Amino acid sequence: MSYRRFDNDDIVVSADSITSPAWSNNAVTLSTYVTGSQAGTDSGKYYYHVYNTGSSDQEIQFAIAYGHRLGSGSGLYDASIVGKSYSSTVYGQFRTLINGDEDTDFSFLESGTPTTPDSVHFISIQRSRFKEKILPGSILLSLSGSAGDLKLTDNSKTETTDSFVDAGRVYSLYSGSAAGTVISTTIEYGKVYPDVGLIALNTDKLVADNFMGAVNVTSNYTTVDGKETCLNSLVSGSGFALRADETLSSNFIFVRARNSEFNYSTNPSNITGSGELRHSTMIDNPQSYISQVGLYNDSNDLLAVAKLSTPLLKDFTKEALVRIKLDY
Amino acid sequence: MGYLNNSVVTVDAILTKKGRELLARGDGSFNITQFALADDEIDYTLYNPDHASGSAFYGQAIENMPLLEAFPDETQVMKYKLSTLPRGTSKLPLLEAGYASISLRQGAALAITPQTLNYLGATSTFEAGGYTATIADARVLSNFSGVGVNTEEADNLNSQTTLGTNVSKTVIGTSINLTATTVNTLFGTRSSLQTTITLIGRDSGARVNIPVTITKVNI
Repeated sequence: MSYRRFDNDDIVVSADSITSPAWSNNAVTLSTYVTGSQAGTDSGKYYYHVYNTGSSDQEIQFAIAYGHRLGSGSGLYDASIVGKSYSSTVYGQFRTLINGDEDTDFSFLESGTPTTPDSVHFISIQRSRFKEKILPGSILLSLSGSAGDLKLTDNSKTETTDSFVDAGRVYSLYSGSAAGTVISTTIEYGKVYPDVGLIALNTDKLVADNFMGAVNVTSNYTTVDGKETCLNSLVSGSGFALRADETLSSNFIFVRARNSEFNYSTNPSNITGSGELRHSTMIDNPQSYISQVGLYNDSNDLLAVAKLSTPLLKDFTKEALVRIKLDY
Repeated sequence: MGYLNNSVVTVDAILTKKGRELLARGDGSFNITQFALADDEIDYTLYNPDHASGSAFYGQAIENMPLLEAFPDETQVMKYKLSTLPRGTSKLPLLEAGYASISLRQGAALAITPQTLNYLGATSTFEAGGYTATIADARVLSNFSGVGVNTEEADNLNSQTTLGTNVSKTVIGTSINLTATTVNTLFGTRSSLQTTITLIGRDSGARVNIPVTITKVNI
């Protein structure tokens, strides 16, 4: 017999959480924001992609979009139809995505009281950067305006109960001193939605507190667009720290060869043309060398194969235990 | 006093082409239920029972050799399986297909009935579990089927179809039927197609690899 069935406890599924720096080249903090010439392009009317560098190996890190509840701060689709603009589309898109309800606008706490700003900036992290989800407690977003620097971090480390919206978990962004270390919870400057890799900024409050330049709500996107103010505030800041989190599922398979099993080899170099063992010393003391393990289904289809780094001697006095890791 | 080495060997596995195909199919056929061990790459002529230092060194040349990484082609790995046989066995099972190579014209049919020599003391026998036959490139045959083994797993395997690319196909039976393709476009500008059939005894683990040539005719 050449095949041996696994016992029930031979195959174990393990799910491990793997966290890593979010930005390209494993950078924990992104401090260079490059957008190039996106203003006025079809996509640039809605969002700007932000790259890590201006060189040829640049990669998209995140996108910035500006949303206005009433449609201001960007060009109109039709000059005669007020309120139907790129910014209203952005606002509605994220409102539906995050809140799951077109009647529930974005609201943020100011001294414990919910307020509903008209302007909201959205930072959408590139999927390949946040992988499965943003690691809560890893955000440190630096903005800078005429009032000075403001560092924002999420309150996931101090919250005893997670809050959920239609887009999954949600945490508040407050002023902080380090990632996960909140200084004051008086003003909620934004929210982070880790499961969808999104950050919503309370633009009206950031502008009022002079951490961000004012959005010209009458301007056209070809001049001073709403997205530019957030980008300028980011560029003046000291960086954007973020970590990604993903769950890696692995199968651990324990291959157990008992002492009486797998001691004979069908390798042509081990037998003569008539099937006799090449070495007479192996008749009573057969020895085989395991170089690989094949994993099969019931139909004997070879599904996966694992190679050992060096041959493993097997005979009637030895048992072999090989642990195989199979990732999907 | 030293510490006992209680570590296990840990290795990473890769999916074969067939494994990826069955995983993508999503019908439950990617279900690992059994394993086999093999010693591909091992050259037993390096085993030296005359080593001057004694029996502990007979396998020295083999035990220290480095091994290559695994190949994803399921027809190129796990060729020489290790078998479980009674102690004292002096002859290992040999699989005899009756053909050193197979050459078929387009549309021609052939039946292979493998036998296993030296298995369980018999000089010639048909294994009760039958034989698995794997064609490396399923496209070159219009019919590739196994008959004679009426188990659920054999029926499931024999009824599977593979479309498109040059993946392998495996069937189970005591007799294997094959019919060469009649599709001219597979040949391109060539006059023949080459592939291999691998026959493996399901009980003994004995294996034989047979080259297959399909010759183009004007159909």
